[in-house]
Amino acid sequence: MAAHDRTGHYVSPFDDRVRAPEPLAPRPAAIEGRTVALLDISKNRGAEFLDRVEMRLEAAGAVTMRRTKEIFSKPAALALVDEIAGRADLVVEALAD
Amino acid sequence: MHDQRAPALSVAGVDPAEASLGDLSGSGAALLVFVSEECPTSALALGNLGPLCRGWEAAGLTAAAVFEDPLDVAIRTARRLGWAGRVLSQPPPFEASRAYGLVTVPTMVLVGGAGMLEGTVVGWDQPRLAALIERAGAVLGTALAAPPATAPLVKPGCSSKAAIDPEVAAAISRRTLDDEMEEMFERGWTDGLPVVPPTTERVEAMLGGADGSASLGLVPPSMGEATLERVAACAVLAGCRPEYFPVVAAASSAVLDPAFNLHGQAVTTQPAGQLVVVNGPVRRAIGLNSGMGALGPGFRANLTIGRAVRLLATLCGGAAPGALDRATLGQMGKVGFCVAEDEETSPWEPLHAERGFEPGQSVVTVIGSDAPLNISDHRSRTPEDLAYVLAWAAASAWSTNWWPLAEPSVFVICPEHAAMFRDAGWSKQRLREFMFTAVHKPAGELRRGETTPLVHAADQAAEIPKWASPEAIVLIVAGGEAGRYSAVLGPCTGMGSQIVSREVESGWLRMTGPGTT
Repeated sequence: MAAHDRTGHYVSPFDDRVRAPEPLAPRPAAIEGRTVALLDISKNRGAEFLDRVEMRLEAAGAVTMRRTKEIFSKPAALALVDEIAGRADLVVEALAD
Repeated sequence: MHDQRAPALSVAGVDPAEASLGDLSGSGAALLVFVSEECPTSALALGNLGPLCRGWEAAGLTAAAVFEDPLDVAIRTARRLGWAGRVLSQPPPFEASRAYGLVTVPTMVLVGGAGMLEGTVVGWDQPRLAALIERAGAVLGTALAAPPATAPLVKPGCSSKAAIDPEVAAAISRRTLDDEMEEMFERGWTDGLPVVPPTTERVEAMLGGADGSASLGLVPPSMGEATLERVAACAVLAGCRPEYFPVVAAASSAVLDPAFNLHGQAVTTQPAGQLVVVNGPVRRAIGLNSGMGALGPGFRANLTIGRAVRLLATLCGGAAPGALDRATLGQMGKVGFCVAEDEETSPWEPLHAERGFEPGQSVVTVIGSDAPLNISDHRSRTPEDLAYVLAWAAASAWSTNWWPLAEPSVFVICPEHAAMFRDAGWSKQRLREFMFTAVHKPAGELRRGETTPLVHAADQAAEIPKWASPEAIVLIVAGGEAGRYSAVLGPCTGMGSQIVSREVESGWLRMTGPGTT
């Protein structure tokens, strides 16, 4: 048995390696000149929400990039996550209808 | 205050079993946090200050929670709230609290290295507490982390037990049992019901010699690894007997198949549960009920196998209701839902045979599904009438005007209803196609509230079926021999969740006795 799973004389159902909270990324002081990814998760009317957000961001001097998830109920493809992480400074997700 | 000596303190602790003020403040200074287990403000204080304790201790400030509760209660409460400082306990009549003149818990008292009182904060008062910590830093000649300025900044405390009549205080502080069952709740190893503690002995018995480090995959949404040991721990917690474990493992493996999309089901606002259907010889071998009350309580194997799968999702996968599980209402099938098909009574091929397995194989099939809706029909005298009643009962599945449904609706046909189809010579496919054909409406009648893009795009008079295809109708047989009540379980929709089947690995089966075939 894996020793790291033992809690006293119990076997924990938790995988403690994934339970630590992820720290938030540092927040920029301003958005002017920043690249903001706008992620549509493919849920009803998410694109309408992002249209309005995009207008506001562009007015504030941000550069936007629109991307779309294949299906809302599954995690984004790793390639998409990597692309956004590599190119964007900020992300806005349109979550639901 | 600053020229006042702190009263002596002698309280029970762990390692050492008794602590004095000198022990606590000897390294520089001590912050005594007087609390009691049932006080919400005490819980707030312990939760907010707990993460700071280790840093303070390294800088010379020893933080000690002094409970007005028995030591075992104090230890469990501190662990539950993430208190990383010392844990101390005082019995009635709470002499330490009396010596410090306590009226309220929590009360925080700063004691300097020379045993001098440096300051006191009553209740939760973040600004004053930040000042007290600053004072501690000044005493120690270093900067200390202040408690976070998160709401509520100020919260009144509760009455200290030392401020109550001693006889009353003694009565409300009776020592509780060192209760293992309560500890399971405090660890969070539960779905809200009592569980069986997963001792190493029970988990090893559950594994039955299988390699506990073998992995069934990652459990979404938190991607905890489903080692067989953790799956076995969930099976123990759920109340399974070791002979159920091959079924639990097969069902766990099935829900972790990406095609099932447990990720979406685990976190959705929908009420989706994970229905586990069991077919084959293992049903009889482990006492799964497929007869009277097949969807209800009373049978250990049915209730605990479904529960074990759900505990794996919520504990190892991190989909705790109200946290990552965002279900608006949920449903009781999310506690666990395991159904065995009554293959012996069914006039048709069993579900697993339809899905390509041999009838003699033991197979679990998992389906994302809603709660069951009862369908009473004691009056149909033809298979056509009965099929019509069954099919139209599902017309409102998912949502009244959401037609067609691509995902499966599961019909549990009771034996008396099944007998009518058997006597008429209806095959399963004939029934399925009749039901599919029976339920349709003009698009114009479906354009109210939530409906599908297909309905919006169709001509007013175009007939829209309830299901996208006959294959979205799943039929199994179960239930008591008397009573004409079938049921339908609506789908989990919009997630591309597919039905997944897994063979129960025969190498693990410990089937013995007369039920084995």
